[in-house]
Amino acid sequence: MTSLRARAVTGGILWAVAIIVLWLTCVSSYLASQTQARFVEVLETRHAQAVVAVTNNSDAPDDLVLAIGDLVYQVPFSGQYWQVETDTGALISSPSLDGERLPRPLRRTEERLRSEFDGPNGEAVFAIGQWVPVRDDVMWYVQVASSLRSFEEDQVVLRNTLLTAFAFVSFIGVLGGLTQVAVVLQPLNKLRKDVSGRWEQEDGLEVQSYPIEVAPLVNDINTLMERNRDIMRRSRRPAADLAHAIKTPSAIMRNELDNLMMQGTDVQEAVGALDRLDAQLKRSFARMRADGTDATVGVATELDTALGRMERAFNALARNEGKSFNADYEEGLLVRMDQSDFEEVMGNLLDNALKWAETQVRLQAHETADGKIMITITDDGPGIPKDEIAKATQSGQRLDTSKPGTGLGLAIAHDLIHAYGGKILLSKDAELGGLAVHMRLPVGSAKRRD
Amino acid sequence: MRILIAEDEPVLASQLKKTLMSEGLTVDVAVDGAEAQYLGETEPYDVIILDLGLPIRDGLTVLKNLRSGGNDTSILILPARNDCADRVDGLDAGADDYLPKPFHMAALSARVRALIRRKAGKATPVFSKDNVTFDTRTNQVMVDGVSMNLTSQEIAVLSYLFHNSGRLVSRNELSDHIYQHEGDRESNTIAVFVNRLRKKLGSDLIETVRGRGYVIKATV
Repeated sequence: MTSLRARAVTGGILWAVAIIVLWLTCVSSYLASQTQARFVEVLETRHAQAVVAVTNNSDAPDDLVLAIGDLVYQVPFSGQYWQVETDTGALISSPSLDGERLPRPLRRTEERLRSEFDGPNGEAVFAIGQWVPVRDDVMWYVQVASSLRSFEEDQVVLRNTLLTAFAFVSFIGVLGGLTQVAVVLQPLNKLRKDVSGRWEQEDGLEVQSYPIEVAPLVNDINTLMERNRDIMRRSRRPAADLAHAIKTPSAIMRNELDNLMMQGTDVQEAVGALDRLDAQLKRSFARMRADGTDATVGVATELDTALGRMERAFNALARNEGKSFNADYEEGLLVRMDQSDFEEVMGNLLDNALKWAETQVRLQAHETADGKIMITITDDGPGIPKDEIAKATQSGQRLDTSKPGTGLGLAIAHDLIHAYGGKILLSKDAELGGLAVHMRLPVGSAKRRD
Repeated sequence: MRILIAEDEPVLASQLKKTLMSEGLTVDVAVDGAEAQYLGETEPYDVIILDLGLPIRDGLTVLKNLRSGGNDTSILILPARNDCADRVDGLDAGADDYLPKPFHMAALSARVRALIRRKAGKATPVFSKDNVTFDTRTNQVMVDGVSMNLTSQEIAVLSYLFHNSGRLVSRNELSDHIYQHEGDRESNTIAVFVNRLRKKLGSDLIETVRGRGYVIKATV
């Protein structure tokens, strides 16, 4: 499943990276050319100074070292060099060359010549040289050179400064992008909360409270919610009506068969068939109910109300049988189940517990640390042997026929709980010694209270 | 003991009535909720069997109205729909027990007898007084271990007095609990039944308090 937020953020980041790379390339290329121009300009100025010094001191070449006395030429291998080659081939050079020689181009021209070669200590240097007329027909070659090391270092510093600046700009850009995504998606978050809160309400969502881009979706959701409520109503009513319509004739037939049996007629097969019919109907109605829950979204049952009702009802039944029923549950719990389905599950399980208990039945409910509702029903009856526990939740498996029943209670509870995404687990209760039924149910979202 | 059956399905109502009458109980039938509530409010029943799916006024409303009117008669509900919510509604509204349809008559009789016993504060289904025992499950009466033949009216009188043992029961009260709503009532016949019971079971069992009624003193 794709997240809109992830899409927006990924798209934004890709665009930002493309723009930053483009800008970085353009800006660093421009600044590099500027730095290079400045480097050449400085070297040309130095060359011009050297040419003036040579012209003024052509009669006393040895004075050139003093004439071109810039400190950068004094330190050996400082990276800044000058060299003058006379028409006789004599060399006068800066102390920084320390006796080394700069190569000279073969071409004799009065134009300034630029060249790049390895300097006296092996590092790359950039040189400007020129044949300068010092007297009639006498030309000296005046050359200045500068190491490219400082130029390259400047380039690195420039690139790092640019990268830092763009990284900062990118960070601010991503933060801004995330904020914008959050603001743009806020109506969708509101929509999600509203839908889960109002599914059980008869009124729809307020279209006016959403941006015009989301309003058509809100309208569609309103239609869907109404259709869902319709489906729920239509699927449940006929099942309930049919159940009622069939049960009374079934009771009549059962009584007639009982009478015939008491008169000595063999009706065992007919009674067995009627038992199967009743069990099948009960299971089918339970299945219809469980299938109906597929269309249920956003329902919630308040346990204070539902368990309160069960507590009062089963307290009375337990008293009738001389047993005790004790319920202990946290206040304010909500499960994501329709109330009648929840009561169907609890009713079936409590019926079973009460039927098999020797003296007591307990019900406990609490919210777990991982956000589920855990409900446990325990009794002090015989329990179910370990190897038969799996069978107990299957359709119509009566593990013990010593007490009346259809063997469907656990299976119905199992089906309904699974239909709502919950889990049911049976075990032996360590304290009471009987059966413990643990139900792990999803938490319901709060209903709107206006 | 007098029972009201509130059931709109005539065949089922007739089966219930036949079964309960065969066990020595006096039975009235109401075919809708309005009639059930009227009879429940005006007649002294020992148990009301209430179908929750009654016409005119549903069983749950009848139940709530009876309870809110202070009526504490034992009520056994027959839930109408196929879910637990229906019976939880009924029990929550004050019903004493429930029996989901379809049911065996034997189960219904047992529940009715249990409700009658519980109301009378009796734990066991067999009453004993001196040499006389009365089994409410079979309506069998024995004197010194010998089974006695009693008519249904005699059993009805004996059963009511046993269930209310230790308490003085007037002739009118006895009459209210052994005759049907529209049946012939003559309190003199009560005296006839009591005399027959004394002849069959011994004169010490039922004591007469002149001008006030009858009593079976403490039973075991």
